[in-house]
Amino acid sequence: MKHDIHIPALARVEGEGALTIRLKDGAINEILLNIYEPPRFFEGFLLGKYFQDLPDITARICGICPVAYQMSSVQAAEAALQVTISPDVRLLRQLFYCAEYIESHSLHIYLLQGPDLVGYESALSLAADAPDLVKLALRLKKIGNDLLKTIGGRSVHPVNACVGGWHRWPTVEAIQALIPELECAKQASIDTVKWAAGLAYPDFEQDYEFVALSRLEEYAIYDGYIVSSTGKRTAPEDFEKNYIETHVERSSALHSHTIDDKTYFVGPLARLNLNYKLLRPSARQAAKDIGLKLPLRNPYKSLIARAIELVHCTDLAIELANQYQPRGPSFREIHLRPGEGVGVSEAPRGLLYHRYVVDEQGLVRFARITPPTAQNFAQMEADLWALAPAVVSQPQEQASLSFEHLLRSYDPCISCSAHFLKLNIEKS
Amino acid sequence: MKVPHDGAGGNYPGTIKVIGIGQSMRGDDAAGLAAVRLWNETYMPITDRPGVQVELAELPGIGLLDLLEGAWVAILVDAVSSDAAPGTIHVLHEAQLEAFSKSASSAHGWGVAETLSLGRKLGIHTLPEILVLIGIEAGNLEVGTGLSQEVASILPAAAQIIEQRVSTFLTAQPHSTSPRISPR
Repeated sequence: MKHDIHIPALARVEGEGALTIRLKDGAINEILLNIYEPPRFFEGFLLGKYFQDLPDITARICGICPVAYQMSSVQAAEAALQVTISPDVRLLRQLFYCAEYIESHSLHIYLLQGPDLVGYESALSLAADAPDLVKLALRLKKIGNDLLKTIGGRSVHPVNACVGGWHRWPTVEAIQALIPELECAKQASIDTVKWAAGLAYPDFEQDYEFVALSRLEEYAIYDGYIVSSTGKRTAPEDFEKNYIETHVERSSALHSHTIDDKTYFVGPLARLNLNYKLLRPSARQAAKDIGLKLPLRNPYKSLIARAIELVHCTDLAIELANQYQPRGPSFREIHLRPGEGVGVSEAPRGLLYHRYVVDEQGLVRFARITPPTAQNFAQMEADLWALAPAVVSQPQEQASLSFEHLLRSYDPCISCSAHFLKLNIEKS
Repeated sequence: MKVPHDGAGGNYPGTIKVIGIGQSMRGDDAAGLAAVRLWNETYMPITDRPGVQVELAELPGIGLLDLLEGAWVAILVDAVSSDAAPGTIHVLHEAQLEAFSKSASSAHGWGVAETLSLGRKLGIHTLPEILVLIGIEAGNLEVGTGLSQEVASILPAAAQIIEQRVSTFLTAQPHSTSPRISPR
């Protein structure tokens, strides 16, 4: 590359982001990743709102992962109001989360990152040459979508989740009717792992600190304790003590670091590396069949981690759908009291933290939302710097694509809010 | 007034789907949602209209393909961004969409045009035969704000345009269950 790179709108990334790379004397002098990150605006927007409106409002932060926002949100509000949910409510929430993983992972694997790895500019050009692959992605996504709609009442912005449980139980028949499709999705996911293993990944490994939720008895998605690959364990309510956010002037997003001022990495690679043994046997078998060696330290191989999680989630969804026999009321009665609570869950893109303070009338007095992309932001920039020496000698267009591909492998969800943006790409 | 959720009502030969798209908490980005809501409240209760379905979809992305499934005609109402004055109403047919999206805006990699183009390329035969986009030029897109005055004031006109299209297609609605014509 001979000139600076400026990409005002990153393609195939959920949201608005811009990347500028400046050269000086032939070497990279400056890397600016600018992410417009609306969850911060939502924090202010939540103030004064009634606690029961939180799941609905936070679901609108992101079109791709509304379930993650709802699940961290209901848990934080329930902690603040000292509400305990029933096992049946938890089971349905786990199933709800499986639906989102199926949708989000199939989209990212085949239509967002996949085209980079098979040498296509976009899913559109991939669709022309490999329509069956794209159709498979759309079918998988639709199965996740149908499950999400059956539980949540709507697919794009589900409305059924509430603080204390669910507004209503979906019928057992409606849930079980989806099992045959989920069986197909499971087989397609196993095939996806094989396909993913055969792709050519750039040779790029870094020594990351991985952070994810963990549970003793299951592969943590809905809730858990916060663990790090350094061995550090953090209770959800101590998250802000060990993981610090600082403001960076050029961006509306905050940068996260550990208390020791180190970058860290959340998402599928972190979950797989830290919790592999707790995957469903079918997912472990799929990993074994491709000869997977852990830990994975190549961010591009997040795609393999997503594929393995797809097997896990389809398999788990089948079991949960078979177990689903709700008894009693779908939600707990809530007594208003002032309080503070934290909710953490694993969004498809990584750990999502919410903290609320509510007053005696049930109104929100404080809200903190720390999305996964914000936590990975500093790590993404560090990776861009690490990649730069190998890229600087590439032709301009290839260099630009190399940087974009690295960012896309993170599956950043960086608008969570804007549904359109200008597409005028300028390169200086 | 209750707006039916996704897929409510089932499929009917000659189904007309009116789909409002947008982000309800980001200024004029909500224009499509607001226009469809207003049209639904103003015109829908007048007559029994079998086969007309209403959807409000925030950020559907590629999920738009699922929403379009089974419709004969889809009328999409969305905020758009070009160089026109805020509140300008654009009425575009599918063939015009691509050119529009190239010169103006798209939904973070999965805009209406791109999503449709993907569906057509894959030969998905359940996509609508006819598609119309009613685009409302956005001005203010600040998070946490409402519609701008310019956009709010044209909502009745936008609702009227939606109604004109719906009425036209209702008149032409096929009532047979004969096999659907393949998409062009």
